[in-house]
Amino acid sequence: MAANPELREQLEQAISANKVLLLMKGTPDMPRCGFSMRTVAVLEQMGVEYGAIDVLPVMGPLREVTAEISDWQTFPQVYIDGELVGGCDIVEEMFESGELADALGVPQPETAETQMPANATEAGLPAQSPPMQIET
Amino acid sequence: MADLAELRGMIETALPGAEVEVLDETGGGDHLRAIVSAPQFEGLKRLDQHRLVRAAVKERFDDGAIHALSITTSVPRST
Repeated sequence: MAANPELREQLEQAISANKVLLLMKGTPDMPRCGFSMRTVAVLEQMGVEYGAIDVLPVMGPLREVTAEISDWQTFPQVYIDGELVGGCDIVEEMFESGELADALGVPQPETAETQMPANATEAGLPAQSPPMQIET
Repeated sequence: MADLAELRGMIETALPGAEVEVLDETGGGDHLRAIVSAPQFEGLKRLDQHRLVRAAVKERFDDGAIHALSITTSVPRST
C-alpha cells in the first residue's frame, strides 16, 4: 500500500524548505527518546539552525512515507540539503570525523578533535526555521 | 532474545571478508551494537554502509529478536 500522499507531500515540502531538517521523537526542548536527544545535541553543537518535526503523533504513517522516499524507517532522521544523511549513529560518527561540518558548510566545533575544514570561511548562515508540527 | 553469534554470521555472510563484532549493549539481548569493517563499504555513503548491515539482519528485526541495533561502520585500511 502506498504511503499517505498528503503526508508525503507535507514532508517533502518540509525537507525542501529546511536546509537541515530533523525528524525526531519529541521536540528539541523535550526529546522523548535518547537517540533523538543525542541527535539534537550534535546539531546544537554544530550551531546550525534546523527545522524539527515531532514524529510521535504521526509515527506509523510517517514511517511509510520515509520508507518510500528515503528507504529508511527509523527515527530520528536528519536531512541536509534535501537528502537523508542518517540517524543518530551516522550523525554522531560524521560529527566526530568532521564529515558533518563539511556537509553543513560550517567549521568543526572546537570540542571535537578534528581539523577545521579548508573551506570553513565559506560558511554561510542557514535559513531560520522554527520547529514545526505535522498534523493529521 | 537475539543470538549474537548468529547475527555476526548473518553479517559476515552478507559481507564476505568483513570483520564483525556484535555487542549486547544493555545485557538485555535486544539493544545491540554491530561494529563492522568491510571492504564492500569502500566508496559508499555511511547511510548506504548502514543499510547493508541492516539488510543483513533484517529477518531478526522483522521477527522482533532485535529492537535496536546501533551500527558503527568503517572501511578496512589497506595493508
